[in-house]
Amino acid sequence: MDVNIIETRKLHYEYTDGTNALIDVNIGIRKGKTTAVLGGNGAGKSTLFLNFNGIHKPSSGEVLFKGRSVAYSRSALKELRRSVGIVFQDPDNQLFSASVYQDISFGAINLKLPVEEVQRRVDLAMKRTGIEHLKNKPTHCLSHGQKKRAALAGVLVMEPEVLVLDEPTAGLDPMGVSEIMELLKDVQKELGLTIVFSTHDIDIVPLYCDYAYVMDQGRVIMDGSPKEVFSKPELLRKIHLRLPRIAHLMEILENKDDFEFKDKAITIAEARRELKMWRESMK
Amino acid sequence: MIYIDKYAYISKLKHQDPIYKLVFCMMTLGVCLWANSIIISIIALLIMGWHTVCKGGIPCAIFMKLMIIPMSFLAIGVLTVGINVSDKKDIFLFYISVFDINAGVTQSGIQNAAHLFFKALGAVSCLYYLSLNTPMVDILQALGRLRVPKLFIELMSLIYRFIFVLLETVEMMLTAQKSRMGYSGISSGYRSLAALASTLFIRAYKRSDELYTSLEARGYDGELNALHESYKKGWIQYTSPITVNLILIAMTLIIRHFTGGLM
Repeated sequence: MDVNIIETRKLHYEYTDGTNALIDVNIGIRKGKTTAVLGGNGAGKSTLFLNFNGIHKPSSGEVLFKGRSVAYSRSALKELRRSVGIVFQDPDNQLFSASVYQDISFGAINLKLPVEEVQRRVDLAMKRTGIEHLKNKPTHCLSHGQKKRAALAGVLVMEPEVLVLDEPTAGLDPMGVSEIMELLKDVQKELGLTIVFSTHDIDIVPLYCDYAYVMDQGRVIMDGSPKEVFSKPELLRKIHLRLPRIAHLMEILENKDDFEFKDKAITIAEARRELKMWRESMK
Repeated sequence: MIYIDKYAYISKLKHQDPIYKLVFCMMTLGVCLWANSIIISIIALLIMGWHTVCKGGIPCAIFMKLMIIPMSFLAIGVLTVGINVSDKKDIFLFYISVFDINAGVTQSGIQNAAHLFFKALGAVSCLYYLSLNTPMVDILQALGRLRVPKLFIELMSLIYRFIFVLLETVEMMLTAQKSRMGYSGISSGYRSLAALASTLFIRAYKRSDELYTSLEARGYDGELNALHESYKKGWIQYTSPITVNLILIAMTLIIRHFTGGLM
């Protein structure tokens, strides 16, 4: 049975200027799985994430971590932030130190760990994210992709249970995107992490996610497995999202060119299987 | 400045204890200023140049180029010291007179100017030694170990980190403005510059807000703590800079004794 590690119930969040950023959000993040949060710009994804680790306190409703309502006391927040690590979209906003090594160690030092343990974790995090060779480089000499990895390493040192990533693939080249997603998959397998990320990159969703939430104007309007979510293309298009390219192709083939498929394919592998099956049925 | 920064990270002396370098630099700088001697200044310049170029592996041309930078300031400074005004004519080596006033160069004026010139060069070379071989991060760490208040160090490190982000932002905005003819005339240039400055301020403010959020997410509790590199410790490493400076001091005294402060 799936256990929700993070849950929100009737979560409302209002910014001080009166904007309703989140309206009645009820979601559950399954432990050990990868969940995507989709939505156009300004849909409330980042605000939702900041509610996950208590940076934002809900205006009403509640956030539950491991089934317990989040308390907003100093010590409880500290514990929560240790368990729920956020990697922000712009690494320049996260990397505060000019030294990559020092920046990565920050989170671990704040946990008041002994020095040897901090060193071990920093080295491990750099190894996991593949930036060992950047140890002695100044932050401002790193490329965008390298900065993203350094930011990720800076969160991994806290050994969180939930890794929340705001647009982890934004601004990366195609190779960089698949590299960072594979890296996340490996780390997840190794540490049993729960991963939540927001993205505009629809094509990676069917490849890497177990579950997806779709948000629009502060509300969750759809959720389900990638397959379920992408079976409603009209709804997605209405909120400025789209199908994965492959799913779009398959949709056109089915609707306009009289192909007949048994299943809706949303990845290349699935499409290949469907097309092969179609060829077999033609013989 | 950015070039200096780049070289500091590739210097072969990077891994040396920054406190050692700081001590060496400051001690020699102090002796150089105290000695007020042309010979000592030149020796200091050579020592620092040798450390930077031969031991640190910084290209000689770069070191020379950087030494030329203070020259223009020095030239002006030296001129004002070297040229004196007086109504007596016999003290000048050569002079020009305008009405009753004579302006010219005296023996002691030349001497003062030469002393000042080499003193400044020697002192600057000490600072170049430090900045070309020590990344800013290490200097800040050394200051921390020397018990400089944490607040200053954190401020300095944040400023250092975000200077680069700021410069990048300025560059991008400037390019964007230029590509839209933002600086084609004087008035439009001023307008663009004003827009750039104000936007930059707002951006910086927003960025600081976001930085704070991201630090909070990593357990920030008022102090920017980080793991520091460890260095070989011990007093033995300080023997060489101390010896060098003691020799310099002894030489100064000898030179003073024989030349009466002329050199």
